[in-house]
Amino acid sequence: MEQKSEAGHNAVHMPSPTVWPMVLAMGLTLIITGMVTSAAVSVLGLILSLASVIGWFREVLPHEAHQMVDAVEEEIEISSARKSIDRLPIDPMHRKLVPLEIFRITTGIKGGIAGGIAMIVPATIFSLLKYHSFWYATNLMAAGGFVSWAGQSDQFLAQFHLEGLLAALVIHTVASVLVGLLYGAMLPMFPRWPILTAGFLAPLLWTGLLFSTLEFISPVLNERISWFWFIPSQIAFGLVCGFVVNLQAKVRTPQFQALPFALRAGLHGAIGEAGDETHPKDGKA
Amino acid sequence: MVTQTPVTSIAGHAPASQHGSRAFDVVYDWITTVDHKKIGIMYIVYALIFLVIAGIEALLMRVQLAVPNNTFVSPQSFNRLFTMHGTTMVFFVGMPILFGFGNYLIPLMIGARDMAFPRLNAFSFWISAFSGFLLYFSYFAGSGLYGAGTAPDVGWFAYAPLTARVFSPGHSTDYWTLSVLLSSIGSLGTALNIVATTLSMRCPGMKLSRMPLLVWLYFVTSCIAFIAISPLSAAQIMLVIDRYLGGHFFDTQAGGSAVLWMHFFWIFGHPEVYILVLPAFAFANEIIPVFSRKAIFGYPAMVSATVGIGFISMGVWAHHMFTVGLGPGANAFFTLATMVIAVPTGIKIFNWLATMWGGNIHFSTPMIFSIGFLFQFLVAGLTGVMLAAAPFDWQLGNSYFVVAHFHYVLVGAILFMIFAAFYYWYPKMTGRMLSERLGKWHFWLFVIGFHLTFDFMHIPGILGMPRRIYTYEADRGWAIWNMIVSSGAIFQTIATLIFVYNLVVSYFKGAVAGPDPWDAWTLEWSTSSPPPSYNFAKTPTVESRRPLWDLKHPEEPDTQYE
Amino acid sequence: MSTAVAVAHQANEEWRQPSRGIVGMACLIAAESAIFIIFVVAYIFYTGKSLTGPTPREVLELPIFSTICLLSSSITVHFAVHELRASKVRLSAWWLAATVLLGSIFIASTAAEWYKLIYHDGLTIRTNLFGTTFYSLVGLHASHVIAGLIMLGLALIFTLMGKVNQSHAERLEVLSIYWHFVDAVWVVVFTVVYILGR
Repeated sequence: MEQKSEAGHNAVHMPSPTVWPMVLAMGLTLIITGMVTSAAVSVLGLILSLASVIGWFREVLPHEAHQMVDAVEEEIEISSARKSIDRLPIDPMHRKLVPLEIFRITTGIKGGIAGGIAMIVPATIFSLLKYHSFWYATNLMAAGGFVSWAGQSDQFLAQFHLEGLLAALVIHTVASVLVGLLYGAMLPMFPRWPILTAGFLAPLLWTGLLFSTLEFISPVLNERISWFWFIPSQIAFGLVCGFVVNLQAKVRTPQFQALPFALRAGLHGAIGEAGDETHPKDGKA
Repeated sequence: MVTQTPVTSIAGHAPASQHGSRAFDVVYDWITTVDHKKIGIMYIVYALIFLVIAGIEALLMRVQLAVPNNTFVSPQSFNRLFTMHGTTMVFFVGMPILFGFGNYLIPLMIGARDMAFPRLNAFSFWISAFSGFLLYFSYFAGSGLYGAGTAPDVGWFAYAPLTARVFSPGHSTDYWTLSVLLSSIGSLGTALNIVATTLSMRCPGMKLSRMPLLVWLYFVTSCIAFIAISPLSAAQIMLVIDRYLGGHFFDTQAGGSAVLWMHFFWIFGHPEVYILVLPAFAFANEIIPVFSRKAIFGYPAMVSATVGIGFISMGVWAHHMFTVGLGPGANAFFTLATMVIAVPTGIKIFNWLATMWGGNIHFSTPMIFSIGFLFQFLVAGLTGVMLAAAPFDWQLGNSYFVVAHFHYVLVGAILFMIFAAFYYWYPKMTGRMLSERLGKWHFWLFVIGFHLTFDFMHIPGILGMPRRIYTYEADRGWAIWNMIVSSGAIFQTIATLIFVYNLVVSYFKGAVAGPDPWDAWTLEWSTSSPPPSYNFAKTPTVESRRPLWDLKHPEEPDTQYE
Repeated sequence: MSTAVAVAHQANEEWRQPSRGIVGMACLIAAESAIFIIFVVAYIFYTGKSLTGPTPREVLELPIFSTICLLSSSITVHFAVHELRASKVRLSAWWLAATVLLGSIFIASTAAEWYKLIYHDGLTIRTNLFGTTFYSLVGLHASHVIAGLIMLGLALIFTLMGKVNQSHAERLEVLSIYWHFVDAVWVVVFTVVYILGR
């Protein structure tokens, strides 16, 4: 792009100024203006456009027109108005809770699929016990997708419907994978007891969210849903999902890379111990 | 700690006045230029002119509505006023001014010498400019050259079948269609240029993950533009076919559908809101960190939230059409999609607040406008969530509540950030500072006027006042609210006059800015103000997201933390 | 903890970015696709909604031959770029000429089809919704073909004049991407208009 010609001087290639873009814009506008005024204006516009297209082409073909601009380097001070940085002494425990190893987000998908399969068990028990039908829960879920099913009876929902099965499969798969993904993404934030958070807290939160919004999302489901059974099936999902995720291998975070080599190699004990050594200092501060 | 970096100035640049007619040389220079900075400035100046025109139109409407049974303008002129006001503000103020800033800043921020396609850039500007003139030429020749002049009067979204030849004879509607069609060519050209520049013209080391957030947001905006503006062009072409060739796309007599036009228009219309608001976010992303003296909080979250907004914005258009009766499935879908978009937007607001949190905040004019933007955008978003609920929308759709809501976005958020951007980058563009004292006057008068106008505009909407009526009876209980709303317009007018006065006077008498008046961190501040035509004598190399921070603080460079 | 040291960047690491011509063409294609999608949606939306005849089933014939010509021109233009890359300018010119010829056959057969529809079947853009949507969708595509043909024709003329060499291969490639896009659109238009819409 640039060549050094003399000391301190750069000859810079810049595209040369050209009038043709402006003329072409005017030509096109005049062509259009002719549609609301008179054909003669369009003819004028056409002539201008053709001339400018040719002019423009001659400028970029076979090589784009350039001009050389002389640039002079000038030393200008770049300085900050404020004082230079002096970091506050940071307690070594600072950011201690950032995990050294986390799960891959994709493991959440596996957990979601496993949890989704597990969730079928309590849902089926519920539908067998309460309505003596294998398909009731399936159809209830599918009803979210079919507006016409809103007024159907319990008997109708207890029968087998192919489209119901398919719709429920799609809804259940998508929801399970998404929730699993959400769980995978949230795990690094709860490094302590993943099974507890995933198995109980997350399902309760999720149920609360659904409880308040289901009325708008799927009125059919809202009318007939049994919250007593819904919560165990959510917890089944969460426990299995958490279990499956825990089986997966963890990956090391950038935090791990930042540790001193001795710690990384495991020569110096765990990070927790390293933190413990500094506790007396905390007391002073 | 002081360090030095090569900064450039123009060598041997003789003023054009020495040979021939000076005025002609200057004009010729600006007409033929392919320099992104000059094109950016032309975009901005041309948008400012139209801002004043469309502002005057708004003022006339507010005078008409200030008291009941007013006869200040005729019903016909009132229709033209709101049509021209809306069309001008969206197509000839909002987009050009944002593209203008983008044109000026993007190459400077990524260390490039020019845009990827400098000639296309000039072409895009000129065709946008001419299309604006074409639209306003309708005031003189609306019904064809020999008829009486009338401007378009079909509203800025020009619902079918009002636009059919039968209901809109003459050429006034054609002026609207054709000028919008032309301007969309310009918008697409500039969007294309921005994407190509961002992807192909970055200086060494400027990875995508190190680009200033402004460049990221403009990149996403331009990608939305391809998918949003083209449908509008397609719909306009269909309308032209209907009006000129006798087609039946939107001809309800021949089986055509008026609702199809609504779909096509809003497939453009809603993403357009994001095309306008994302650059405003982009300005906030640059200004808030500098005046909080902290790095932006959550850079990756900001980028992903922006991309998320880009995707979701494609799936929300029909919330403009709840009152059409779309059926429960579509209503539920578009209600949910619209509410979901509040999530990435909320992430952004929290990130800005977290950036300011614990920062050493400098309340300069760009920053106070940005703080105003934060509060007002929050309120605008909240009324947006209210309107997203279909049953609520059935009550208030097409009322002044809606008008107040979207003006809260367009004025309270976007215009405030545009003002902030002027105060922030004017020194870079002209080499002189805008007056801080006048800036404070501008801000406070505008805030007062804005809240008088648009806070109180919600109330007549709730009381049932529909939009686009030219007057109303005295017994409706709307009179006092409309009087307050109109009085706010006076404050805004005075504030805008102060702003324009500031722009002009500071150009000649403002304090000399120097290359880096705000102690900022992005590349545009490493070259002189105004920058030479080639931007950087030596192509810069960057190592982090804040290259100037690294130069200013070699004892604590950002490179350690990335 | 402050011992974290940034990984040293390789100073002479090669700095590569996508070609601006190809990025620009990709953007143009994105925008054009959106336009075509809207026209295709309008066509599908209005299928079978015409109040009067003629209907697509009565008047449309499958343009198999011209479709084959247009699609095979994608192959020829690919070879033209390929040969120009290898600096075989004459061979490239032959492939370009074949592309222009195939494209012209397509346009000619579209013109013949329109002539038949207008003068034989009495279907114009004003006749009914089918006429409006058919002529605008097919016409929009045809105008893109014509624009592409003009550009390819210019490239052919410049090649024959001997002004083209290997350094222009990238520009020809950008043009060929546009031509592939036009062909891909035809696949969609063909499916919607001549197969699904009939």
